[in-house]
Amino acid sequence: MLLKGKTNKNNSIKHMKLTRTQREKVTALLLVLPALVFLIGLIAYPLIQVLFDGFQFKNLVNVNVSGFAGLDNFKEVILNEHFFKALKNTIIWTVFSVLGEYILGMFTAILLNQKVKGIGIFRVLVIIPWLVPIIVAGMTWSWMLNPDYGIVNFLMIKTGIIETAIYWLGEQNTALFTIVIVNIWRSFPFFTISILAALQAIPFDISEAASIDGAGIISRFFKITLPQLKSVSIALITIHVIWTAINFDFIWIMTQGGPYYSTETLPLMIYRYAMKEYNIGAASALASMIMMVMTVIFVFYYAQKSKMESND
Amino acid sequence: MIKKKFIVLMSVAIAACLTFSACSTGKNSSKSKENDTSKVTLDYWVCWSPGSDTEKNSKAMFAKYESEHPNVKIKYSLITYDMAHDKLVTAASAKNTPDMSWALPEWIGEFNNMGMLSDLTDYYNKSELKSAIYPNVMDTMTVKDKVIGLPYQLTIRALLVHKSLTDAAGINNIPATFEDMLKLGDIYKKTEKYPFGFCATSVRTPQELIGYLASNGLEIATEMKDGKYKNTWKDDPAQLAKAAEVFQYYKDLTKKGIVSPNTKAWGWEDEDTNFATGQYMMEVTGNWMSERETTNPKEMSDVAITAPPYKEIPATYMETNPTFIYTSTEHPKEAFDFAAFISGKEYQQAVFPVTSPRTDVVSDVKWSKDFMNIAKTGISFPPVTLGGITTAMTDSLGKTLQNNEEPSTVAAWLSDEINESLKQSGEYSEK
Repeated sequence: MLLKGKTNKNNSIKHMKLTRTQREKVTALLLVLPALVFLIGLIAYPLIQVLFDGFQFKNLVNVNVSGFAGLDNFKEVILNEHFFKALKNTIIWTVFSVLGEYILGMFTAILLNQKVKGIGIFRVLVIIPWLVPIIVAGMTWSWMLNPDYGIVNFLMIKTGIIETAIYWLGEQNTALFTIVIVNIWRSFPFFTISILAALQAIPFDISEAASIDGAGIISRFFKITLPQLKSVSIALITIHVIWTAINFDFIWIMTQGGPYYSTETLPLMIYRYAMKEYNIGAASALASMIMMVMTVIFVFYYAQKSKMESND
Repeated sequence: MIKKKFIVLMSVAIAACLTFSACSTGKNSSKSKENDTSKVTLDYWVCWSPGSDTEKNSKAMFAKYESEHPNVKIKYSLITYDMAHDKLVTAASAKNTPDMSWALPEWIGEFNNMGMLSDLTDYYNKSELKSAIYPNVMDTMTVKDKVIGLPYQLTIRALLVHKSLTDAAGINNIPATFEDMLKLGDIYKKTEKYPFGFCATSVRTPQELIGYLASNGLEIATEMKDGKYKNTWKDDPAQLAKAAEVFQYYKDLTKKGIVSPNTKAWGWEDEDTNFATGQYMMEVTGNWMSERETTNPKEMSDVAITAPPYKEIPATYMETNPTFIYTSTEHPKEAFDFAAFISGKEYQQAVFPVTSPRTDVVSDVKWSKDFMNIAKTGISFPPVTLGGITTAMTDSLGKTLQNNEEPSTVAAWLSDEINESLKQSGEYSEK
């Protein structure tokens, strides 16, 4: 560090003065320090603890279980009879949720981008599913889907779509599909708002010129609008893939992973290891595995983003 | 320059204060306050239903206790049973449990093994409760001669019957055994109401299953000579066959149309609500259903109470809900005194008049008398870590009803899972 100072007879620095740039850096560091301490204490430390515990034998009710486990916890997780089912459910839950949210979000964003009287009211209404607390949404949908007195079955029978009530959340072949639909309902507004903001940034004259040249609506959408939305789409999809894959509360509220593990995902498996079996080692190992996959997804996104920015 | 430095340092100090003010310091923060005023605040977690009579009456009794003990303040927090378990485990890991809480008997083994529970033996032996609580109830609160909780509520599971519906269906004798129940296969065709319902998911599933297994002479984990536990079904083909009979019973109830096909995914809310609204005729449940007489007066007006159906010997699940006092409490004496007040006659008469574990609090109403008549057949969970065991018991019904697996295969699987869970928790007997 370059210091300015006066030296006394013994050539020692009497007054150490920082340059203006150095003072600004120190000030910035001091102001950021509380947040940094918070981040290290509440995020970095638990994260490192989880990675460490993944390689340890650790059980909350059995103090005799301790020591270095190596890869045993990871083997135990992979050999669990429900692991591959949970992995498959996680992939289905994530892929179809994000796909559905994106398509519905795009569709509603395009509609809300039109110059229609009262469009502001529709923009507010479309946000409502996102605002409803998860516990309220989950419980309300559970009651609506009830086969004995739920409104969904009632309306479907009345309109002739089905003949008898279906236990949407109680049958193994419908439960996962049902919670994906409910999740799409809940999360698509986030896509709508983000895509709408991006749509409004697209210059109108490009689309108008294409229209004059004879391009139809669909052609204009795929050749003009969609390429302009590439950056925001990739960001949204990446964030939502990560959020959806690690989602626990919504599935737990609606089905608790049932009926018989048909909606069990990897985050629910972590919960069962930790809070039902008290096997912290296995829970941490599974959490570490999921974190590695999410990191790979994020690195892939970052590489794509950098590539797009360098092409620009 | 100095002024600028001062502003920067003050900004940093304020930011740090705001950041760390969000961090809890647990009970220590109140300690110096309490020392100043000699006032003890007892942090008490409860799980009553909001708006219930239990809540109303409990709050009145808390106020009475505080007026009689001016140095004690009761600070209660309302949490659901489902959340309470996880919050308590998390709080224990952070060494920040409340002073005391409501609890379920299934948590006794695991909380004791985690070292969370205070030893109340000395306090209990000196209190009036020793002669007032049913002895078999206190047995469920005792682990290896150590009293680890005080009972605040006792519920027995009984068979509740909508008499008007069974009479209309021509069911003259209420089913007493599995075989009697399995003869009701044609009732739905005649009446369009299912005769029975059970719980196949949620916390109540293992509670119902353990009662049925006990009625066929089976224990889920037997205490061995070394003081540890083991499931012995696979050591004895006769026991394994009996366990298979119980799972076959569940299967037959569904196959013969005695229960709704949706029952295979019912939780306890579905089971109780559908019964309270008269959707089906009979269910095995507890005397908390007396509260449904207020919410569903018309449908619940015809309810009769009798023993649950059994296979070989009458048996039912007895649930004694404990008040736990945690080892982290700084006020063990005050906490015990308040817990003893909750288990005391005055409180029990006011708050739990029909579900009291006291011998001197008995009501003539059917919700107390008829349930207590079958209390002697009550059994409880063994005092072991139950998390993995109860999950396996629920899964065994999933295998039977959702996956349609063979009952003998399910019984063998459950035996293995129970023993595996006991091994994980260090409670498995090699003998």
